[in-house]
Amino acid sequence: MDLRYSDQDREFRARARQWLQANIPQERRPASGKAASQFDRDWQKKLHDHGWAGVAWPKEYGGHGLSGLQQVIWYEELSRAHAPAQHVSTTYVALMHAGPTLMARGTKDQKTFHLPRILSGEALWCQGFSEPNAGSDLAALKTKGTVDGDHIVVNGAKTWTTDAMHADFMELLVRTDPASERHKGLTWMICDMKTPGIDIKPIRTMLMDDHVNTVFFDDVRVPLANVVGEVNKGWSTAMATLSFERGLGFIADQLELLEKVGRAIELAGELRLADGRLAIEDDEIARRLGSIKADTMAIRAMTLADIAETDRTGIPGPKGSMMKLMVTTTHKALSQLVGDMLGWGFMEFDGDRASNPWTHDYLWSWVFSIAGGTNEIQREITADHVLKLPRSR
Amino acid sequence: MYLVPEGDELEIANAAAEFIASALPINRLHTAGNADMNGAVRSQLAEMGWFALALPEDKGGSGLTAVEHALFFREIGRQCGPVDILAQALAAMVCKSADVRDALVSGTASAAVLVPEGNRHRLIGSASATHGLLVTPQSASLHEMAQANIEARPALDPANSLALVENLPAPAESQDGAHIWRLGQIGSAAMQVGLAEAALDLIVEYAKVRETFGKAIGSWQAVRHTCADMAVMTEAARAELWYAATAMKEDRGDMEAHVDAAKHLANEAALKATDSNIQLHGGIGVTDEHDAHLLMKHAALLSRLFGSRQYLLSRLLHAKLED
Repeated sequence: MDLRYSDQDREFRARARQWLQANIPQERRPASGKAASQFDRDWQKKLHDHGWAGVAWPKEYGGHGLSGLQQVIWYEELSRAHAPAQHVSTTYVALMHAGPTLMARGTKDQKTFHLPRILSGEALWCQGFSEPNAGSDLAALKTKGTVDGDHIVVNGAKTWTTDAMHADFMELLVRTDPASERHKGLTWMICDMKTPGIDIKPIRTMLMDDHVNTVFFDDVRVPLANVVGEVNKGWSTAMATLSFERGLGFIADQLELLEKVGRAIELAGELRLADGRLAIEDDEIARRLGSIKADTMAIRAMTLADIAETDRTGIPGPKGSMMKLMVTTTHKALSQLVGDMLGWGFMEFDGDRASNPWTHDYLWSWVFSIAGGTNEIQREITADHVLKLPRSR
Repeated sequence: MYLVPEGDELEIANAAAEFIASALPINRLHTAGNADMNGAVRSQLAEMGWFALALPEDKGGSGLTAVEHALFFREIGRQCGPVDILAQALAAMVCKSADVRDALVSGTASAAVLVPEGNRHRLIGSASATHGLLVTPQSASLHEMAQANIEARPALDPANSLALVENLPAPAESQDGAHIWRLGQIGSAAMQVGLAEAALDLIVEYAKVRETFGKAIGSWQAVRHTCADMAVMTEAARAELWYAATAMKEDRGDMEAHVDAAKHLANEAALKATDSNIQLHGGIGVTDEHDAHLLMKHAALLSRLFGSRQYLLSRLLHAKLED
C-alpha cells in the first residue's frame, strides 16, 4: 500500500488549483428558475472553453480520460475553491448519467450529436425513470411505449424528475412490450423535451423550491433512432446508468464533505451559544464534530481505496452502495450538528441556498438519502452483493 | 496510491492468519485458565519472529512497517488474542539494552500492559509477566514486575487478566516520543477491526442458515439492514486503518491525525458490530458457550486502551490534513 502521488498527479493538482482560483464565478448561483440553469450552463461552458470539462470522459469523446485518482484530485480542488456544487447543478444528469450511458450503449450518431453538447453545457438532461407507482421498485414501471412505424408513441407519467423544466433531453425508460413483466420489455430512449404532448407539472418540496416535477406524456412520438441499446432490452441500459451513479457519481459529494467539516469547525470557533460560550467550547458539540471529521476521513480513505482499485482492475467494485450510505448519513449528521450550533439562525430560511447554505443542506440531506436509490435500497444492495445474504424479494 | 493490502503484505497477513487460527483459536476462551498469552504460545510466536516484525533490522528485527504491524494485529483481533502480544512487540522496541530486547523477542521474557489509574496502575495481561509496559503519547517505559505488589482483580474479558499495581517500580528502560504510542494505537485499532470483521462473519453465516417463520433470518430486512450497517462501519474503520498505517510508514505530516481517527473508528466499529452480533443471534447470542460475548468483551477492553474517545476526538478536531 502507498499514499504517494506521481509527478503528473501533483502537477495536475497545482494546475487545477491555479486555474480554479482565478476562474470560479464570483457571483452567487441564483436560487432557482432559468437564471439558475443559465448560470450552470455558463459555468460548464467556461470549463469546456478552458479545457476542464469531462475530466472523467475518455479522450475520444472530448474528455480528458483522467485516471480515477486525478478525478479525485479535480473534485477536491473544486470543493477547496468553493466552485459551484455539482449535486445541485442542472448539468448533473447530463454529465453523470446520460453521457456515460451514451458512451457505453449509444450509437455512433447518438454519440456524435449529444456528447459534445453535454460537455459544452449546451444541452441539459433530466431522468425519466421513477413513476408515481415505481420508485425503489423501478421494474414496476408502467409508462407505455407503442411502436408505430419508425416511432415509439409514449403515454404515461414520470415523477421526481429533477430540473425537467430546464432540460433539453430526457433519458426515458418505458414499457414497450405490454405483455412483459418486471425487468423485461423495457426500452431506454432519448426524448427531446420540446416534443409535442409533454406536460411538466412542478412539485413543491419542503426545500421551498420546485426542482422536481411530474412529467406527463400524451401520445409523445419519439423516433426509433433515439433508442439507446435495443428495444425491449432497456433494463440493461438503465443498469449501466445506475451503476455509474453508484460508482463514481457521488465522488464530488464524498470529497466535498471534508471541506464542509472544515468550515463547520471554523464556524464552531466563531459562533456563540445562547449561554455566551463559543460553540466549540461545548463538549457535546466538539465531540460530535470530531466524530464526523473521523467519519469523513474514512469516507475519503474508502474513496481512494476504491478508485485506486478500479484504476488497476478497470472494474468498479461492489462497494458504491456502502459508500452512499456512509456519505448520506454523515452528511445528515453534519448538517444537524451545524443546525444545533446556529440556534435560531438555522430557523431563518426563505428557500435561498446561497443565503443560508446550512439549512438548505439539512433539507437536502433527505434528497441525498432518497434520490438515486434510498438508503434502504442501498442496504438491500449491500446485503445482496457484498454480504451475499439470502434474497428478501 | 494504492490502499488495499497486496503482494508481500498479503503473504504476511495470510501466514499470520493461519498460524493464529491454530495456535490461539478463539474457542480456547471457553475453557477456564486460558487468559493472556501462555508460555507455549509465546515461544511459538517468538520462534516465528512475530514479536520483532516492526523492530529495526539493526536491532535484530524484521524491520517491517506499521502496515505489516497492522495486518498482523488484525489477525490477532479476529481470534480475540490477548493484549500481551502487543505489549511484547512494543516492549522490545522500547529497549536500549540488547539483553532485555533479545529476551522479549525470543520469548524468555514477557510483557503486559500498564495504564495509570489514580495513584496506582492497572495491569492488563499476565500477572506473571516479567515486564510491564507503560505507554503514553509522550513516552514509553518498561518496568520490571518481579518485585511489584500486584493485586489480582476479576476480569470481565476472558482473554485478559486484570490486576492493580501499587508502587510501580522505577522504569528499567524508557523512550521519549510518541512512536510506541502510535504503534500501540495502530495495533489495538487493527485488533478492533479484526473483532468487527469476526462479528460480521459470524452473523452473516448464521443468518444464512437460521430460520424463523419458515425463512432464513438473513432474508428479513430487520436483519439484513443491521448487517449492512455493520458492514459499512467495518469497511470505514478498515479503510482508515490502512490509510493511517500507510501514512505512518511514509512518515507523512498528518499521520497522527489519521492514527487517532483510525483508533476511534475501529473502536466504534468493534463496539457496534460485536453488540449487533449478539442481538441478531437472539437467545443463543447471550449464552456462555457462544463466541459472541467474547468478541464484545474484548472490544470493550481494547476501546479503553491507547486513547479515550474524548482524547481522540478533541485532538482530531484541530488536526491539519494533507492531500
